[in-house]
Amino acid sequence: MTAARHFTCALVLAALVLLCPGESRSLDSDVATRAGTSSGGSGRSLVIGKVSDNPKKHYSYLRPMADYVAARMGDLGITEAGVLMAPSNDVMVRYLKEGRVDWVTETPFSSIIFREEAGAELLLCKWKKGVSRYRTVFFTRNDSDIHSIEDLRGRTIAFEDPGSSSAYFIPASELIEAGLKLVPLDSPRDRPPTDAVGYIFTHEEINSSIWVHRGIADAAAFNNLDWSKEGHMPGPLREELRIFHESASFPRALELVRGDLEPEIRERLREILLGAHEDPDAATALEAYQRTTRFNEIDAHVQTELREVDRLLHLVQSELGK
Amino acid sequence: MHARHTTVPAAVLLAVLVLLLTTAAAEETAVSTEGGIEVSRYDGSAWFEFGGRVAIDGAFYAEDEVALGDGTELRRASFEAEGGVAPEWEFEFGCDFADGTADVKDAALCYTGLAATRIVIGQQKTPFSIEELTSAKNITFLERALVNELVPRRRIGVAASHQADTWTASLGVFGEAFDDDADDEGNEGWSTVGRATFAPIRDDDLAVHFGAHASMENPDSEREVKFNARPESHVTDIKYLDTGKIKRVEEILTWGAEGAAVFGPFSVQGEYISCSVTQAPEEEERTFSGWYAYASWFVTGESRDYDKDGTFGSVKPLGRLGALELAARYSTLNLSDGEIEGGEETNITVALNWYPNSHVRFMMNYVIVDNDDCADADGDVDGDDDPGIFQLRCQVAF
Repeated sequence: MTAARHFTCALVLAALVLLCPGESRSLDSDVATRAGTSSGGSGRSLVIGKVSDNPKKHYSYLRPMADYVAARMGDLGITEAGVLMAPSNDVMVRYLKEGRVDWVTETPFSSIIFREEAGAELLLCKWKKGVSRYRTVFFTRNDSDIHSIEDLRGRTIAFEDPGSSSAYFIPASELIEAGLKLVPLDSPRDRPPTDAVGYIFTHEEINSSIWVHRGIADAAAFNNLDWSKEGHMPGPLREELRIFHESASFPRALELVRGDLEPEIRERLREILLGAHEDPDAATALEAYQRTTRFNEIDAHVQTELREVDRLLHLVQSELGK
Repeated sequence: MHARHTTVPAAVLLAVLVLLLTTAAAEETAVSTEGGIEVSRYDGSAWFEFGGRVAIDGAFYAEDEVALGDGTELRRASFEAEGGVAPEWEFEFGCDFADGTADVKDAALCYTGLAATRIVIGQQKTPFSIEELTSAKNITFLERALVNELVPRRRIGVAASHQADTWTASLGVFGEAFDDDADDEGNEGWSTVGRATFAPIRDDDLAVHFGAHASMENPDSEREVKFNARPESHVTDIKYLDTGKIKRVEEILTWGAEGAAVFGPFSVQGEYISCSVTQAPEEEERTFSGWYAYASWFVTGESRDYDKDGTFGSVKPLGRLGALELAARYSTLNLSDGEIEGGEETNITVALNWYPNSHVRFMMNYVIVDNDDCADADGDVDGDDDPGIFQLRCQVAF
């Protein structure tokens, strides 16, 4: 009797595994493999990429979406999905040129770099974390005498990462366009010349928040979504800080493909992503894919904004180097 | 014997060193550290994390009648490693050396290829109780509540756990722990343990959590079980509550309910657990139960970090001076039922915790102990002993 009850529990356990919500990667891979085999050709992987300083974390973001897409390309010879992240934009450019990465998901400034330096093609806009656009906010302590970006002269500002769109390229370009000279600092304790703004990288948004709160940096800049996110800007800190400047808004994120990707694969990828928000089977992959809610075409308005991104990118690179 | 104690940690360190030397040099890997080490390949095919913790305790007893023994203790000194050896295949391994021997904690193989469901095979915590499943380095007080004595401990088995946005479900079938074999060649005990949680609200500084858990266990061939518990202090070896050996055990059914809520710097948590032991031949049933409830307040504004898996993570201090937390707990356990007079004990604890950063914590607890007449360590000490306990901990986790 007792053994039978335990056996019943074991069966429930097995049922939980097999019937649980969400898709099995293995099952998706099987779909891809079967489709690839039926086409009669020698299959290959569809490889997705992203610039990352935390490959373990970002792998879990990318893999479900790569599996979802690859499983629907079996008739095109795609038999499995792959992931290859890069530590920097330069390495991702090389991967795209070498054909090691087929498809990249990135923010606007990195996307333009990949288009210019690796010949990548912009494919779609991505509603990363449920939004299509975002902007940069500059913030300082409530008791600071900084009220505009011109007041940053002789002060320090914290950026997050040299590859970040909203926490480096956009704020740096705003300062340069305002006629301010930017100088890199080795340490937050270093002071810039009185006629320049010193900048330093914190490598995490929460560090930017804490540095300003503690007075280690005079100001910092990151996107408006991070300003509202407790993990990046905890409420008690937000209450003691204030925004003194905001940038124009930009597309949140983009999908790109390498320039020499087979046209039929590129078009199938476009179709799959555009329809993903209407496909219940894509829900798990979209959630993992940085809580993306949908993809849309790059329209004329976005094209105009991307030309502005291109201009600002060259401005920053000419002033501060690559 | 002594050689084994010293060579085990040395072998672990050597293995880690070799792994780091061979992987860090490769351009395909990212390496980062916050005291421990994390290495991961950019193609996601493999990763490795190595860390550990040290906890040093000191306790001073305001003794009543029974001598408890002021003193110090190395409460924890452990290494923890986990990694992914191939896509969808991971491992966990942890070992504590605090008592001078190698005490294997988690030692398991994990399969993660089923979307949000994780299969774990090996020695692991059974899915039971939010307090037990929250890592000891992140619990609010020096020791878990008295009722934790009724919780099924780490065992070797297979478990599946599924995480959705607002709920989790876990179920496992287990044998015994690696060092818990019966003395003779009889069969091990085995158990089925499950837990379900529901968190209708879960945000960065806001959470509401409900959960239930149950375990059905058949003892090993000796068919004996014993429950005993120290007051909520580990430096002393006096376990006032003690049922003695309960013999002819047929089945042990343990169940409980848990709840927790986080509202910015304020949080509350509580659990009730009941354990019924069925004895042959008359199928007599002995029931033991207990509960605890506590409240915590971060004076400096931080929040307890509620995780998606229905446990709590580490606290990240906001201010330059770190985080300061005040907490109070009421906790009780009754191990008496019928002829079994294991005793009843209540502990009231006030706590002050200081987190200079997210890896270091200093803790101070004062515990008021109230024992009944039967709480006499199975006759080894006087009952109705009501000491006070002042205890401190210094902890680093990396």
